[in-house]
Amino acid sequence: MSKVQLFVTCLVDLFRPEAGIAAVQVLERAGVTVEFPEAQTCCGQFSYNAGFKPEAAALARHWVATFESTEGPIVALSGSCAAMVIHSYPALLAEDAQERGEPEAAAARWRERAAAVAQRVWEWSQWVRDHVPPLAGPKPAPGPVVACHLGCHMRRLLKETQAPRAVLEDRGVAVREPVHAEECCGFGGTYSMTEPVVSTALADAKLTALDALRAEGAVCLTGADLGCLLHLEGRWRRRGVTFPVRYLAEVVDAAETGHWQDFSPPSAPLSPPRSQARS
Amino acid sequence: MTGTLPQDPRPWPTRREAALKNATMRRTVGEVTRRLAEGRRRALADYPEGQVKLQRAQVAKRQAVARWQTLWSELQAAVTAHGGTPHFAATAAEAVALVRQIARQYAVRRVIKSKSMVTEELELTQALAQDGIVVLETDLGEYIIQLAGEKPSHILGPAIHRNRAQIAELFREDAAQHGLLPPSSDAYEALTEYARRRLREEFLAADMGITGGNFLVAETGTLVLITNEGNADMTTTLPRVLVSVVGLEKLVATWDDLLDIVQQPALSGVGRRLSTYTTLVHGPRGPGVAEGPEAWHLILLDNGRSALHGTPYEEVLTCLRCAACLNVCPVFRQVGGHAYGSVYSGPIGIVETPLLTDFRILPELPSALCTVCHACAEACPMAIDLPAHIIRLRQEKVRRKLVPTAHRWSIRQWAAQWRTPAGYRRTIRWARLAQRWYRRGDRLEGAPGMAAGWFQSRSMPPVASPTFREWWAARPESAGRALR
Repeated sequence: MSKVQLFVTCLVDLFRPEAGIAAVQVLERAGVTVEFPEAQTCCGQFSYNAGFKPEAAALARHWVATFESTEGPIVALSGSCAAMVIHSYPALLAEDAQERGEPEAAAARWRERAAAVAQRVWEWSQWVRDHVPPLAGPKPAPGPVVACHLGCHMRRLLKETQAPRAVLEDRGVAVREPVHAEECCGFGGTYSMTEPVVSTALADAKLTALDALRAEGAVCLTGADLGCLLHLEGRWRRRGVTFPVRYLAEVVDAAETGHWQDFSPPSAPLSPPRSQARS
Repeated sequence: MTGTLPQDPRPWPTRREAALKNATMRRTVGEVTRRLAEGRRRALADYPEGQVKLQRAQVAKRQAVARWQTLWSELQAAVTAHGGTPHFAATAAEAVALVRQIARQYAVRRVIKSKSMVTEELELTQALAQDGIVVLETDLGEYIIQLAGEKPSHILGPAIHRNRAQIAELFREDAAQHGLLPPSSDAYEALTEYARRRLREEFLAADMGITGGNFLVAETGTLVLITNEGNADMTTTLPRVLVSVVGLEKLVATWDDLLDIVQQPALSGVGRRLSTYTTLVHGPRGPGVAEGPEAWHLILLDNGRSALHGTPYEEVLTCLRCAACLNVCPVFRQVGGHAYGSVYSGPIGIVETPLLTDFRILPELPSALCTVCHACAEACPMAIDLPAHIIRLRQEKVRRKLVPTAHRWSIRQWAAQWRTPAGYRRTIRWARLAQRWYRRGDRLEGAPGMAAGWFQSRSMPPVASPTFREWWAARPESAGRALR
C-alpha cells in the first residue's frame, strides 16, 4: 500500500480547505495512505520572490525540518510551491547559511538536506496521474467541460503541462485551456499586493480569454495553483461574476463521486467592471 | 565605475496610468509581440540543427565577456592597422564628448544614424543637436519615432507601439512640412516608399554616419552590423566620416565564434535564420579599398558594464539585444516599453537599468514590472537567468532599504510567526479577529498593511473555519493516520 505526505500549502489550508479535503479523499479512495505533517506552515515563496531572502530561508529551514523526518513521496497542492522546494531550496539554504556566517560544511549540509527532500516532491496531479488509476465503471458521457489555467511555475519550472489534463480526462472531464494559455495571470505572490494595478490588468486579460470558455459551457475554472485561482476568482467577484472556481482535486473528486451540484453555471452573464483598480 | 542612463522623469504610477489608458498601444504591442514570439518558436522548431550552434554561441559570448580587455587590445591593433581610430569611453559623458569633438574636427553639419541602442543610452542625437548639427535616424522604426518626438519602446522594433494609421499620419505631416509628395496611401508599400524617397536624399547629403554595432570581431578588427533594411550599408559607406559607438560586451574573439552567434538575434528576435543585411566594416577607404568613409572612429563604451565583471550578474552582458524576452513578457505586453522609463525595457531592461546605474535611476523596475513568470528565461537565446537576476536585484533593494517600510515589516512579521507551527496558529487567531472588520457576506473586501493592495481590485474568501489542519485534527481517523 502506498503512502504519501501531504504538503497542503498555506493558501489551501487557510482559504480553501475543501481543496485539501478533496485531495485527501481522492487519494484515500484509491487506497493510498495520506499523512499530514502537522508542523508544516508555508514554503516561503512569497518572501523569496519579493527579495526577502533570510525571511524565506527561515521558512524553508522549517519546511525541510518538517518533511525530512517523514517517509515517501511528498505531494504538493501547488505546482508553484513544489517548484520552490525543488528549484530554489538547495541554493537558498546553502547561501543563507553562508550569509549567516556558518562554516562551509554546514552550508553544504543544508544544500544536501534540501536536495534530498526536494527529490521526493511531486505536484498532486503528477503523482495522481502516475499512481492513482481512475475508478472502474463507465465515465459520464459526454463529460462536463472545465476551463483550466496552469500556473507559470508548473509550466516552466516543473515543465509540467499534461498532468492536470490527464487526471481530469481519465475521469471523463473535458479540459479546455484559454487562448494565450502560457501567459501569466498576474498573481505573482506579493506582486498581487505590491503592484495591484498591473497585476489586475493581467487578470483582466486572462478573464477575457476565459470568457470564451464560459461561453462554451465550461462548468468551472480549475487549476493546480490556488494563488492564481484566488486572484482570478477575486477579480471576477469584484466584477460581480460568480463563476465557480475550483482547485483541481475538487474537480477530480466531483468526477469520481458524481457530486457536481455545486458547480452550477453562472447566474448572470459577464457584468461590466464594478470597480477599477486604484493606484 | 557606475554608468548613467537617461530616464523618463515621470514617476512610475504616472507612466503606468498613461500606458494602461492607451488602448491602441496595448493592442498593437500585444499583437506584434505575440507575432514575434510565435515567429521565434516556429523558427527554432524548424531548425533543430541550430541547437549546436546556439550552445557554442552561449559559450563563446560568455568567454568573450570574461576576457574583454584582452580582446579589446587585439581589436585596437587590428583596427589601427586598417587605418581606423579606436577610442575608449569609460562613461557616457566621455563618449558624447568624443563624438562632438570628432564632429567639430571634420566640420560636420549633417549626420545620419543607423539604429543603435547605445546611442540612445548616450542621448547622442540631442547632444549633437545642441551643436547645431542635424541628425536623422535612418532605421524605419527609429525614423518614425524621431518624427513623433518619442523614444524607442522596444529594443528591436522602436516603433512597435504605433500602428499603420498613426505612422501614415506622421508621414503626411512630415511631407507637408518639407513640401514633399505625401505617401500615396496607408498601405505598407506606400509608407515604405515615402520613407525610402525621403531618406535617400538625406543619405546623400550627410557628412557623418553614426552606427552602433552588433559584434566586434577582435581577430580582424571588424565591426558587424545586422539590419533588415540595409540602412547600415549606406550609413557606413556614403558619408565621409564614420563614427561607431559600441558597448564593450559586443566583442567576440574570432570569426568562428561570430558565425555561431550572428544568426541568434534574428532567430530569437524575429524568427528568421539571418537578418536581411549583414554589414561588415573593416576600416576607412584607402589603398585597395575603394569604398567607405575617409575616416572611421570606433568608440568602445563602458558606461557601467565592466563593473559587472566577476559578479553574479556578469552573464547579463552576453545579451544580444534580440528582444525575445520583451516579446514574451506578459507585463511588457500590457504596458509597452515607454512605461519602463528607461532606454532598456522588458525583462532585460529591468535587470540592466539598475545594474548599469547602481540603482540611481528607476529603482522600482525590478519590483514593479515582473511577476516572476519565467517566460523570459525560456526565451533568452543566451540562457541568461533573468528571473534569478530579478530576484537577486530585489534582494539588493531590501538590503539597501529601497522597499517600503510597511512591506519590510509585513514580511518580517510573517516569517517570524510562520517559522513555527505555534506562530502559524497564532496568526490564524489574529486573522479571524481582524477579518470581522473586513468581511462583507461570504467575502473579505479589505485588509490592513501590505495585503490592502490586493483589495483595490479583488476580493478574497475569509480564513476558513475549519482550516484544513483543523479539519484534519478533528476527523475521526485523526492523529494523522488514515483509516485503513
